[in-house]
Amino acid sequence: MKKAESSHRFAALLDSERWSGITVPILSLLLSLITASILLLILGKNPLVAFLSFLQGSGFVAKSSYGGGAGMLTDFFTFLNVLAPMLLASLGFVVAFRAGLFNIGIAGQMLASGFLATAFIGYSGMSAWAAKPLVILVGAAAGGLLGAFVGFLKYRFNIHEVVSTIMLNYIVSYLTGFFINSKFADPLTRSMKICSNEARLSWTNVQISGMKCSLPLGILLAAIAVVAVKFLFDKTVFGFELRAVGRNPLCARYTGIKVGRRIVAALMLSGILAGLAGVTYYCGYYNTIVPKSLSSMGYDAIAVALLGNSTPIGCIFASILITIFQNGSNYMSSTLGVAKEIASLITGILLLFSSCGGYFRYLAHRKLEEARDKLTAAARAGTETPRNSADGGTKEEK
Amino acid sequence: MEDYIVEMRNITKRFPGVVANDDITIQVRQGEVYALLGENGAGKSTLMSMLFGMYQPDLGEIRIAGKPVRFRSSNDATAHSIGMVHQHFKLVDNYTVAENIVLGVEPMKKAAGFLPCVDMKTANREIAELSKSYGLEVNPTDRIEDLPVSVRQRVEIMKMLYRKAEILIFDEPTAVLTPQEIEFLLKIIDGLRQSGKTIILITHKIEEIRKIADRCAILYRGRLVQVLDVRSTTTQAMANLMVGREVDFNPHKNPADFRGTVLEAEHLVVRNANRFEVVKDVSFRIRSGEIFAIAGVAGNGQVELADAIAGMTHIAGGSVKLCGQDITELPVRARTEAGIAYIPEDRQGMGVFLDFNLGENLALRKYYREPFAKKGILQFRQFETYANDLIERYDIRCGQGRRTPLRSMSGGNQQKAIIAREIEEHAKLVIFVQPTRGLDIGAIENIHRQILAERDRGTAILLVSLELDEIMELADTIGVIYNGELLKVADASTLTSHDVGRYMMGVKES
Repeated sequence: MKKAESSHRFAALLDSERWSGITVPILSLLLSLITASILLLILGKNPLVAFLSFLQGSGFVAKSSYGGGAGMLTDFFTFLNVLAPMLLASLGFVVAFRAGLFNIGIAGQMLASGFLATAFIGYSGMSAWAAKPLVILVGAAAGGLLGAFVGFLKYRFNIHEVVSTIMLNYIVSYLTGFFINSKFADPLTRSMKICSNEARLSWTNVQISGMKCSLPLGILLAAIAVVAVKFLFDKTVFGFELRAVGRNPLCARYTGIKVGRRIVAALMLSGILAGLAGVTYYCGYYNTIVPKSLSSMGYDAIAVALLGNSTPIGCIFASILITIFQNGSNYMSSTLGVAKEIASLITGILLLFSSCGGYFRYLAHRKLEEARDKLTAAARAGTETPRNSADGGTKEEK
Repeated sequence: MEDYIVEMRNITKRFPGVVANDDITIQVRQGEVYALLGENGAGKSTLMSMLFGMYQPDLGEIRIAGKPVRFRSSNDATAHSIGMVHQHFKLVDNYTVAENIVLGVEPMKKAAGFLPCVDMKTANREIAELSKSYGLEVNPTDRIEDLPVSVRQRVEIMKMLYRKAEILIFDEPTAVLTPQEIEFLLKIIDGLRQSGKTIILITHKIEEIRKIADRCAILYRGRLVQVLDVRSTTTQAMANLMVGREVDFNPHKNPADFRGTVLEAEHLVVRNANRFEVVKDVSFRIRSGEIFAIAGVAGNGQVELADAIAGMTHIAGGSVKLCGQDITELPVRARTEAGIAYIPEDRQGMGVFLDFNLGENLALRKYYREPFAKKGILQFRQFETYANDLIERYDIRCGQGRRTPLRSMSGGNQQKAIIAREIEEHAKLVIFVQPTRGLDIGAIENIHRQILAERDRGTAILLVSLELDEIMELADTIGVIYNGELLKVADASTLTSHDVGRYMMGVKES
């Protein structure tokens, strides 16, 4: 009896209007951790050690030993360095997604903006005060233009954004690859020559209480972007119109919204955020571009956005979670001696379970209803038998 | 104890947030026409969907011919000789009538002695016979896409008969038909009854029940109010029970008081997506305080005409003037601001955002203007007071006030919300397209009163309707549209509904 009661309370928690936004993702997370544990156990590893090492690798928990000059803060700031572009990129996806558009082109937009910022500002020898804002500006402009172009193609020629962004990803990848190889290649590494420390969006080798850290400027950008995107969708006319276009374009037109222009604007905004992600990634966390390769982050960001229920605040938690797994995978791999790809596997499992979130909630709802029905059925069985109402008798019920 | 072919005992069915059926018991005798009467959202369709196996009841029991059954899908229901004609037909457009009917239960033959294939010849013959024996007048080799709605409906009926259904459920079968077609359908139903079938008819039109039904169960907000013997009850009594209060059948219409011309359409041409002319050289004018009603069979260009005037469709030729101002090329918002309000035919697709809440939907015409928005920032306080005001004044029923998601509201209340929003624009011209389609008497009465009140305030009204009764009741001037052309425009008092019906069929003046 007690067990049934607590399971009902659990179901009520999952189904409640107020809490399900938090409880359902937590349930998904727990389920995926359990599944991952089973996997690790099959491999003969201790899952607790594995999860701990993910956290250690991302600087949340101290490792047993550190190399010279490194420490927990070093790891934590590296984590922030990866988190910033991930968060920005997922916000970029959210902006388009809320307007009913699927921007697959984040990877390409990141690459284009990283490349242009490096090429134009990274080698210019400008002072840090001029270079850093310019890198951000160039990145935003490049991403924004690319996004707007996709929007224009959709608006003017009715080309679906998924098709055009996938194509553009390839075009950007090969075009930048060509220029890097022919003009900007570092003879030693065969990647793009690194951009100057003045232009770079991370301050490297900063000493904090004896630990060498790399401070990301990008995380500030990302924090501002979260607030801005949330404000945009929650409070502004423009955000309201974007949501309207995303939910029902026909009714949006009926309302008097210029749907085509809003599509272009949404994709431009999405591109701007992707561009910011690009410069914080290629001119911040990394300092170079490997020719002809798109970062997987552009695609992971889609998963992060969906895991975060396509809300800005959700994106924060989702990107922290996914980044812990991805950023901590190296350390996990070396301590446990399993392939680091297990991290991607865990991410995959997490996405799988979180996409079932709606179903979990539905199950909880069913359970509660069934319990209620049983109670009424029991009460009714005690008091009355089915009544015959076919012969004109008025029915009045309790 | 009497033998019932269908018994549904103490059925309760819940959906998130609503109790669609609350402890309903109905018992249907073999060979009768049993009507389910109720307002929209009263739970008629839900109840029948459970009988047809599309949902399972949360509580209660279903018995067929005395035996308790549990349907897991509509296939189980079909196996118990239950058939259903849905409100939205489920037909494959590019198949023939016969192919649609036999789909899933095809008669087979062995080609060249061993290759199994569908025996269309037998199917065609069987269906032709079936059509003849019930007087359905359906040709088995016609393609569905070439057939008018009324014939498609008969194909649906044949689908049930072909599967040997004994219990036939009709969900709002007359909602899409013209007066003549309704007569024909009722005759068919009568024929089915005489051949021993049991018929359950879901409807909110009391007239039909009077004509055809033996008994009638009245549902009100998910509960069974009463089961009546149709012959011994008056129409008025049924209407009152269904709506839960007194109904006034004859809205008071004040004498007409036309003032200046508001809308002037000249030589309007509208093309559809395939560049085909769907509105051809249409000219008319509407004066202030006038209800101009466009009558016509569905699909003759009336919706496109309304869309074109509201700015939703491009005008390919001719001009539209609103109070002397040329609005032919204006975008939607400019037209709204110039004084056009539009209640579209496609309520859920065009008229509202189902995913937004009521408060947001009520403000769709105003959200970007002061005081709803200041410097691009939405003022939710204003949304709230405005929504609460409209909810109260227009009696919009919603579970959670202005925060109610539109999706969870009943169709009638969604329409109320749209009409409230558009009337509150105090426009010069209000376009109503099918404003009462699918609504119950209570809501219809209410909407008719609102339309008349708008007219008396001096608004010009363009009313597009497929319901001839509605047009005859409300219109000051009637225009009959046929095949994209206005065949006849005349003062409503000079036309009988019989005349209008003739023009609707394309008969020109002799």
